[in-house]
Amino acid sequence: MSRLPVVRLAAEVRHQTTLLARDPGPMIGYLVMGLLLITVTRPLYIALDRLGAAPAAAGTDQAAAGMAVMFSLFALKIGAAHLLNERTWHTWDRLRSSPASFGEILAGKSVPILIAVLGQQALLFGVSAAAFGLHPAAGWPALAACALAWSACVLLLGVGASTLARTPAQLSAAGDIFALLTTVLGGALVPVALLPGWLRAIAPASPGYWALAAYHGALTGSASQLGRPLAMLGVFALVGVGVAALIGAGQSGRLRPGARARAARGPA
Amino acid sequence: MTTVMETTGLQATGLVKHFGTTAALDGFDLSVAAGEIAGLIGHNGAGKTTFARVTAGLLSPDAGQVRVAGMDVAQSPARVRPLLGLAPQELALYPTATARENLYLFAGLYGLRRREARQRIGQVVDALVLGGVLGRRVRDLSGGQQRRLQAATAMLHRPRVLLLDEPTVGADPVTRDALLAAVRAVAAEGAAVVYTTHYLPELDTLNATLAVADHGRVVARGDRAALLATLPRGAAGDPPPTLDDLYRRLVSA
Repeated sequence: MSRLPVVRLAAEVRHQTTLLARDPGPMIGYLVMGLLLITVTRPLYIALDRLGAAPAAAGTDQAAAGMAVMFSLFALKIGAAHLLNERTWHTWDRLRSSPASFGEILAGKSVPILIAVLGQQALLFGVSAAAFGLHPAAGWPALAACALAWSACVLLLGVGASTLARTPAQLSAAGDIFALLTTVLGGALVPVALLPGWLRAIAPASPGYWALAAYHGALTGSASQLGRPLAMLGVFALVGVGVAALIGAGQSGRLRPGARARAARGPA
Repeated sequence: MTTVMETTGLQATGLVKHFGTTAALDGFDLSVAAGEIAGLIGHNGAGKTTFARVTAGLLSPDAGQVRVAGMDVAQSPARVRPLLGLAPQELALYPTATARENLYLFAGLYGLRRREARQRIGQVVDALVLGGVLGRRVRDLSGGQQRRLQAATAMLHRPRVLLLDEPTVGADPVTRDALLAAVRAVAAEGAAVVYTTHYLPELDTLNATLAVADHGRVVARGDRAALLATLPRGAAGDPPPTLDDLYRRLVSA
């Protein structure tokens, strides 16, 4: 089997890692903000827990899971911006005219971003464990599985978003709104049980809702509770991939079967 | 019967590409043999860039066909792309990465392994006089250095067909000389080169054949001297006709 796809993928991963490392400020910023908010919101969630107001969202668990969801969504903007840069720098066409397939290009760009988002979540949960005694009842592997599924979902939604946005300003505005909506609807800031009824009714439409459900399952329940939330995150990830494939590949204007057929028929 | 040129160079036949009601390509035919440099000239909007994008597989033609080394770009894109080198009109480099990092990315994308990439980058960097800037970020390079770097990324993998779309725009004479010498070297290795430009004297330096595009089609094609010979002679003592004269006559007809 040819090693060429591996060579191409390695080149793209190395290059994307370099680009991310050149500008670490935003990722560090979102990490610091997440840690700060875990620290200041934890007492609030502990108080809520004592009142029995939101039994599924207790203290440190809610603070850490909520901020992991919220700031991974903000970090998503960084990944999406990197993809958008390819268009504003005109490098997207260079990549497309190279032997690398669409999947290789996307994988090469996505892997370093996925690792960065995973690292962000590992630090948020790790610091919460070290400083506030967070301990996942279903075990660390279950929590890691949730983080991996959510990070992949976030990444693929970001890929879809980057194909929809035309300019960095559009992406920034849409990304902020999407991140906040997903966070609020998911119960990352205010537990879903305390949301108004109409918001509770539409909360499951948010991928953040299922991410929180998965994290709560790993933190306070057992691994058997993770199946449905992880499956739903898979569905949202597929939506992101679908948007990217439909719009991204369409925008790319790569030779498509219909066009080939028209070309083969010749002029009308 | 298949000719040598049909299996080694570039053949575009009957290309049509519309953007809305505008025909960017309207029956565009161009064949370039291996080792040949074809200078493609024409007004802005004549179809030069659209032709390059269709050939590179970035746009689908509405009709017609491009064959690279005998393979149809539309039917066999995965086999054709490794044979193509493209330096588009606009700069398409990673500004926050260094020149070296850009070169290694494109070397890797074209399947050059580390040792081979290092060797080939050394050769191309020498040819394009980029040795002193490898460690600098692209955004900190001069326009001429960026142009040379872009051409270098297109030449790294020894393409069989090289598409250079106005590679010397804004370039100083030193940059231009280095680029033209590198293009001649690529052609001497057997590549078919399509060189789009508005600077007609460059085509003399390249000893290029000529293709004149107008309104989405090639209206004149052939050897420079032969095409110049078709122009009416002036009075005795008048300077001989130039490519500029030929160009004005063909595209304004």
